[in-house]
Amino acid sequence: MNRWLLRRGADACVTALLAAVALVVLVHLMPGDPLTALVGENGATPEQLAALTARWGTDRPLLTKVVEYFAALFHGDLGYSMTRGIPVTTVLRERLGPTLLLGSLTLLVDFTIGLALGLWTALRPESWRARAVSALSILGYAIPSFVAGMLLVWLFGIKLRWLPVAGYSDVLLPMDADAGTVLLDRIKHLILPLAAMVIATIAVPLRQQRAAALAVVNAPWVRAARARGVSPAAVAWRHCWRPALTPVVTLFGLWLPMLVAGAVFIEGLFSWPGLGSLIAEATSARDVPLVVGAGLLLVIAVQLGSLVADVLYRVVDPVQRES
Amino acid sequence: MRRTLLCLLLTAAPLTAQQNRSVPGTLVMGVGQEATKPYPVVGSSSTADADVADQMFLRLASLGASLRTTGDDALKPELARAWHRLDSLTIIFELDPRARWHDGKPVVASDVVYAWKLMSNPVVAFNGLATLEPIAAVEAVTPQRVRVRFRRAFPEQVYLAGFNLLPMPAHLLERVPAESISTSAWAREPIGNGPYRFVRRVPGEFTELQANPSFFLGKPGIARLIFRFVADGTARKNLLISGETDVLESVPLPAVGEVKAQPQIRLVTVASNILSYALFNSRNPADTAQPNPILGDVRVREALTLALDRKTMATSVFVPGVEVPDAAQSQLWGWITPGGLRAAPQNVARAKALLSAAGWRDSDGDGILDRNGQPLRLSVLLPNSPTRRPFGVQAQQMWRAVGVQADLEIVERPEYEPRRKSGKWDVDFAGVSQDPAPSSLVQSWSCATASTAGTSNVGHWCDPTFDRLLQAASTSRKPVAAWGAVIGRMSQWHPAIFIAAPVNLVAVQQRFTNVTIWPTKSWRSLWLWRVNPAMALPRDR
Repeated sequence: MNRWLLRRGADACVTALLAAVALVVLVHLMPGDPLTALVGENGATPEQLAALTARWGTDRPLLTKVVEYFAALFHGDLGYSMTRGIPVTTVLRERLGPTLLLGSLTLLVDFTIGLALGLWTALRPESWRARAVSALSILGYAIPSFVAGMLLVWLFGIKLRWLPVAGYSDVLLPMDADAGTVLLDRIKHLILPLAAMVIATIAVPLRQQRAAALAVVNAPWVRAARARGVSPAAVAWRHCWRPALTPVVTLFGLWLPMLVAGAVFIEGLFSWPGLGSLIAEATSARDVPLVVGAGLLLVIAVQLGSLVADVLYRVVDPVQRES
Repeated sequence: MRRTLLCLLLTAAPLTAQQNRSVPGTLVMGVGQEATKPYPVVGSSSTADADVADQMFLRLASLGASLRTTGDDALKPELARAWHRLDSLTIIFELDPRARWHDGKPVVASDVVYAWKLMSNPVVAFNGLATLEPIAAVEAVTPQRVRVRFRRAFPEQVYLAGFNLLPMPAHLLERVPAESISTSAWAREPIGNGPYRFVRRVPGEFTELQANPSFFLGKPGIARLIFRFVADGTARKNLLISGETDVLESVPLPAVGEVKAQPQIRLVTVASNILSYALFNSRNPADTAQPNPILGDVRVREALTLALDRKTMATSVFVPGVEVPDAAQSQLWGWITPGGLRAAPQNVARAKALLSAAGWRDSDGDGILDRNGQPLRLSVLLPNSPTRRPFGVQAQQMWRAVGVQADLEIVERPEYEPRRKSGKWDVDFAGVSQDPAPSSLVQSWSCATASTAGTSNVGHWCDPTFDRLLQAASTSRKPVAAWGAVIGRMSQWHPAIFIAAPVNLVAVQQRFTNVTIWPTKSWRSLWLWRVNPAMALPRDR
């Protein structure tokens, strides 16, 4: 296992490096002038333009830029954001927290409630409740996330005024507010964006789990367990769920990058200060160092997700372990 | 027009005795961009940064209610309590001795000199340096007196120096390399000289300011300002309606009905300096050294203008109050044409006749006019923006009706500027925020800038008669007539199709009184606003 893990980790590192090189090259080849956002609509004098070009190195050959970038990267330096004038690492750190919070809770709900519902609907496929759950999940999947978000905002934010319509925190909260107040405030601000995310995404793990469980629900070992008088809960947990987990593990690995990629529409609608909206803003402004920095984070997340999925495969599937 | 301009007016209601008890007040403003560099000179050119910076940093002088920029008496004192002229090229500004930086140090002449040095340093990339080209030198005469010398005489000297030279705290920044100021400790917590002090910025969320109780022009009426970053327009509207924010600028057309229906909100219409237009390229897109073979003919340019129903186009995108001008004249410059902005109505028959007179006929019956075998086909560049994209699509349909084929090329914003500077287009759907000074027309519409690379005259428009009128107006003692002639010349020669001069519709919660909103710097009088104690919310106390 250890050797396998080392080999798999090395593969992930090489892949991440290649992806990073491709990312840096592609971002530098994006059409558009990165200095446009800096000089504003009045334009710049030729002297200013020359100084800016020299400072940001926008006129240097691509190869030089890539080599310089990686030389700095190996020292942990992602450069400065062109539009914000502060280190890229600072900007990413500021935005990573809200994205991780929303993304991880979405994954948690999807892969707990979603999987449980998937298994439950597979065990009683003909019941009206199971059919209703399936239909509702498909409906949620079919509705674009921002439409679901707008409906939630209208109902709970504007009509009922139960929850804040947008934001990550109450801007009026005192700086010295106690931890309990801050936590309660976070939860209040989290409910609607989380609900919108879950409505839009829960159908996928639910349906995957349902399909995988349906394939085993009448398998010989399940029928044998029932015949032995094993309780329904134990049949579901021990004999149906675990063998039906493999495809869901793949899905989990693929979805892990969502933790850092964020959700552009949901973050926009709820004014959630995450990485998704940051990447959209940075790309629009051609803030090359920031786009590359955020892209690298995604590359790492994808590789980590893939690695975690492979490890989980071996945990849940003895055949994989032995191979 | 006049009514709109006056809507920068005070919307104050007289307070009753019971209401006269003051409350500290908190104002939360939803803004579409995050203020990441809210300070002048070394900050950014974004509106969000400028709006926050305006609360913390004063100018030497500010525009008066007339918004006039010509003459030595046009501006109102701010950091400079007075100014006087030594000769046609030299003005002395007397700084107000009561003015203080937020750390208690006095604002002195060397702060103005230092700011000028920073502005002139190419490394700083100060947005607007080209505008300050007429300033030859800025010198400290005494700690309270600044001498500004100009390269040439013109009636907007006080405006140029007084409005654009913002002092910077030399005592805090002089030792910091110019290129490092925007990453310095001062940039993280700027120390200014205005009615509000910086409190904190929560990245991605908001910037908070607190009233400066020792502000030398008087104590601000609202104790706390919060600029809340909400990128999405729908979210901004929702926050206003739910009462989580108090002010929303530039209410978009689709939201007007819903906002208007809220009894706790009032809408204020303010003249705007924005102008939308379709610019003609004077050069040949295929060979930018040559004149444009189609648009070089004024009859074609006029025909393209008359083919458009500009009123319908403007009202389909902008809120009520939008006007259609025939020249580069936003509502801010409404004073030039006292009867209001004027534009020729759509006239398809005349457009067709003009094209026919210019030799364009449909000889092959395909619905597109042609001349010498060449179809009347235009490449149209436009950015993917919610206002300009519909303009492009509507224009394409209307031009088609007179036999003109318009090929739209819709590009994302970062690609747009390099594309328009490349000159490889016939028509460019552009937008501009006009400077209060009409002399700024020289930057985009004069022969001097037509041949210079990198200027904002990307259409290379050059009309020597227009230049002469511009020059005369810049020094005229009768500015209305002189600038009227400039505008008149432009409307006859059609360097562009001017489509819309919109208003700025601002939504404000009813509990605020003394509300004054300015056309170019909407929030410069925010410190004079008050909260009606009878309507105060818990956050106001």
